[in-house]
Amino acid sequence: MMGRTLFIDPGRCIGCQACVSGCRECDSHRGKSMIHLDYTDEGRSVASQPTVCMHCEDPVAPCAEVCPAEAILITPDGVVHEADPTRCIGCANCVNACPFGVPKIDLEAKLQLKCNMCYDRTELGLAPMCATVCPTGALFYGTLEELQADRPGATVSNWFEFGDVRITTGAAMVVPRDRDDRPVPGGLPLVSVNGRDLPGAGATRAPGPAGGGAAA
Amino acid sequence: MVDRRRLRQRAALVGALVSLVLVLAIVLGSRGLRDFDSALLPYAVATVFLAFGVAYRYTVWVSEPAAWRLFRKGLSSAFSAESFRRAPTALPRMIATYLGFQKFLGARSHARWAAHQLIFWGCLLAAAITFPLTWGWFTFTASSATGPGYEMRLWGFKLFGFSSSSVLGWAMFHGLDLAAVLVIGGVGYFLWRRYHDRAATTGQRFAYDFLPLLALLTISVTGLLLTFSEIFLHGGGYEFLAVLHMVSVVFTLVYLPFGKFFHIVQRPAAVGMQLFKFNSRKAGEQLFTCKRCGTEIDTVPAVENLRGTMRDLGLGFDAWAEYCPRCKRELRGGAYLTDVKRGFK
Repeated sequence: MMGRTLFIDPGRCIGCQACVSGCRECDSHRGKSMIHLDYTDEGRSVASQPTVCMHCEDPVAPCAEVCPAEAILITPDGVVHEADPTRCIGCANCVNACPFGVPKIDLEAKLQLKCNMCYDRTELGLAPMCATVCPTGALFYGTLEELQADRPGATVSNWFEFGDVRITTGAAMVVPRDRDDRPVPGGLPLVSVNGRDLPGAGATRAPGPAGGGAAA
Repeated sequence: MVDRRRLRQRAALVGALVSLVLVLAIVLGSRGLRDFDSALLPYAVATVFLAFGVAYRYTVWVSEPAAWRLFRKGLSSAFSAESFRRAPTALPRMIATYLGFQKFLGARSHARWAAHQLIFWGCLLAAAITFPLTWGWFTFTASSATGPGYEMRLWGFKLFGFSSSSVLGWAMFHGLDLAAVLVIGGVGYFLWRRYHDRAATTGQRFAYDFLPLLALLTISVTGLLLTFSEIFLHGGGYEFLAVLHMVSVVFTLVYLPFGKFFHIVQRPAAVGMQLFKFNSRKAGEQLFTCKRCGTEIDTVPAVENLRGTMRDLGLGFDAWAEYCPRCKRELRGGAYLTDVKRGFK
């Protein structure tokens, strides 16, 4: 996997929303941003995280699998495209099935909207809008070698864990080089700390010190 | 999981049965082929292939886990006596707004809505005229030897009479020309868009996006040229044009189930899906809310349907569907900053 792709590093994100604005400028969905920027612990921390489509490889595109109208195309380069407007019936299956919370839906237009890694740009060899405008490198487009030349202490992971399920993706997260070989946690199961539900750091059966917690 | 080989066999069987029913309907409707116009034979044969292709493709499509679940839910919603009592106009209203006037397209773009309406009504008019004609169901007979009276018959039974020199008569004999004008208007806009709108040009494919438009354009233009040849050229080039027209129609009908045109057959699923959700809301059922933040996600049956679909597909993270997209992202982000890149919180 992984030729030129998006590498995401929430540790570098300053929540400036440049990626959101840049995405909105894209001619193929002008005025609508397909990228999400979330404040992961709003009110307690300024930490933020950009979310683009991770282009799931295994299982291949759950959003496409649960689509009853066969509307989501996956091109041979592994890009999971937005729903074909001719076919999309606006059922929102993809929205609620995506474990990363990526697709949006316009219920009036009966149309799903999602990041397609700026296909109009990337097919020409250009970087996606979000990575082009990101001032801190929280969104980086290129090869792993290019990323590591820029950030010697980093490596990446495209392996995620949602409860007992592992998902590999086409886009990847930046992780510290000394991190052991564990998947990136998806946030489930929740762990309850002082009566407050917090994201779990791994599956109950996962090896390593971070498992456990009360399942949601 | 679906056994692909058995599925293809079942789909072929359904296709063959539907084709057989159509052949029988052609024979019976044309009164034992007495009203069948042999000059239209290639068109009739193409419709039999079309019936096979649509039934085959439809069977394969609805057999997929997600479509199959929605298919059953949509049908049971459409035929539910209880929901009919609660909202008797819901189904016809949805059919009119989604399938007829395609209101959702207006929310995407007014220009696309207008162009699509031109193509839709043009194709519908053309199909309503040509399909029964090629099957020998419609016949036009002279009321008298001297004219200008004509009678239109369906399955041999007289529907109504009209004068061929009246406005109605002109419209009856030029219905396909009118349809062609509508279609050319719509296709012209969509072809323009395929060259100028980045939303359309991104990832477009010739066979999927251009071919259907070119097929409709060829049918419409060659159809209009037949009338042109008849009126202005005294039939010059008519036979060549007739063959060209026939080839373009036959190709389009056979191609219909396998390309972009399949949305014509698929789109009613939108009505089933909408009715499935509407019934639940109309019954006053509580909506499914995010387990973390309480945001409305969807109707309870819709979420259960999705979770069932995910389990059918072996996607073992269906419990995640109980959280709204934003909470999913926040939880993942929180986990990343807690477990992966500590100290950046």
